[in-house]
Amino acid sequence: MAGGSEWRGKIQKFSNKIQKNIYISSISNGLMALMPILILGAIFSLINALRIEAYQNFLTNTGLKALTSMPMTVTTDLIAIYATFSIAYNFATQKKQQGFSAGILALMGFFLVTPKGVLEDGATAALGYSWLGAKGLFVAIIIALIVGTVYNFVLEKKLYIKMPKGVPPTVEKSFAALTPGFLIAILLLIIAAIFRATPYENMHEFVFNIIQTPLTSLGGSWWAMLICVFVIHLLWFFGVHGTLVVYSVVGPIWVTLGLENLEAYQQGLEGTNIVGSPFFPVYVLVGGAGATLGLVISMLFAKSKRYKTLGRLAIIPSFIGVNEPVIFGLPLVLNLRLMIPFIVTPIITSGLAILLTAIDILPVLNGVQVPLGIPIIFNGWMTGGWRVGLFQILLIAISIAMYYPFFKKADAEALVEEQAVESKEQAVQAQA
Amino acid sequence: MKKILLACAGGFSTSMLVERMKEAARAQSIEVVIDAVAESDIAAQAPFNIIMLGPQMGHAEAELAEAYPQIPVTTIDMSDYGMMDGEKVLATALELMEKGVK
Repeated sequence: MAGGSEWRGKIQKFSNKIQKNIYISSISNGLMALMPILILGAIFSLINALRIEAYQNFLTNTGLKALTSMPMTVTTDLIAIYATFSIAYNFATQKKQQGFSAGILALMGFFLVTPKGVLEDGATAALGYSWLGAKGLFVAIIIALIVGTVYNFVLEKKLYIKMPKGVPPTVEKSFAALTPGFLIAILLLIIAAIFRATPYENMHEFVFNIIQTPLTSLGGSWWAMLICVFVIHLLWFFGVHGTLVVYSVVGPIWVTLGLENLEAYQQGLEGTNIVGSPFFPVYVLVGGAGATLGLVISMLFAKSKRYKTLGRLAIIPSFIGVNEPVIFGLPLVLNLRLMIPFIVTPIITSGLAILLTAIDILPVLNGVQVPLGIPIIFNGWMTGGWRVGLFQILLIAISIAMYYPFFKKADAEALVEEQAVESKEQAVQAQA
Repeated sequence: MKKILLACAGGFSTSMLVERMKEAARAQSIEVVIDAVAESDIAAQAPFNIIMLGPQMGHAEAELAEAYPQIPVTTIDMSDYGMMDGEKVLATALELMEKGVK
């Protein structure tokens, strides 16, 4: 592709700017670090809420239900707390400051703006769960970034009280550690006071209604998902990890939407967010970016040695959505012939999934964060039951149908090339 | 012993390549440590003697080169990466470490 590599360079620079932006990267790395907690909570919620009557009766009768429902209440239900620490920690370490101090200061900040109350007995002080889960996630992000910024600013500009000479340096150090804490506490008290004066009464209520809800309904719309899928694959076409770049921007929204579904699932209801965190791995990554499983399956039956070898190399990782061997080995990067199926196939698979979910043929995904390494069909089954698993088989068939016609031509050409090389070698041998 | 660090988005696809590089190193009885990590976890892996990025992470090369001026930082060739050519990538790594940073 003429000028392709020049374009590639530009797109790489641009992607780096987005992904390495300190705010964006601390949010996405911070949330990424919570994966073990999210996955743990999700797996236990599956164990707890699996909809088989006999099984549920067994759990209730044996009293196990009290135990199986517990992990969720301390993981996903408290995710905003984990996120506050994790994001502030990430921000500070990226700025080469003490992550731990920033993390605990952010926690203090988060609790400062979170409404507290008293139980009905009038005496027991309480911190309700309502803002500590998915509903409080955006406040967690905002607080973590504010605290991280202030913390870094104070230490970088050395805005703490300097002691006269003769005072032991350790004393100055401990003052230096106190100053950002005091400033952050005062700043957040002011913020809390301002929100108290508004009709929203607290920061959570305000952020949830004015920022989180509009952003998540925007990011959760079918067209936003399709745009993301398109941009991701356009970036991949230029050899950039599109998923990573786009996820760093929309990740918080998808995670929130997924967690909302998980909460509903836990209560025995069906979630309402068609698009959420499991949507992408289940419906878009059919064999990895580009929904290339059909291509890799076609390659197993290739006539040319080159593609057959690559197909064998790529098939097993493809089932768990790792397809870099195909993307770079075929390659799909800057490959104009395969560009159409590479970009269009995932749009078709995700578009079809959205449509079928909207008309109730497919269930809304339950929001379980599936760990990487769970193969296709199983990951669908885990997040939506057998219908989703079955639908994924259809998606694989669509992928084959999309790629095969394009691949057949590439394979025929590779075969001709290989034969030409072989006959040349034979000719050389015959002469010798 | 020298340590070669490969990095991609999640450390998944590079870990496949690392296995092949280790095989190649064993076959040539070269003593070297080879590891794969997520790009965001590089700092925790120090010390290492070279960073090799998966081509999908090529956009991070310039910045990492700035952060680690004393060691070579490079992006693995696309087709070597795709074909998981452990031998060739290992050879490139050894050559770059030999040469050092200009």
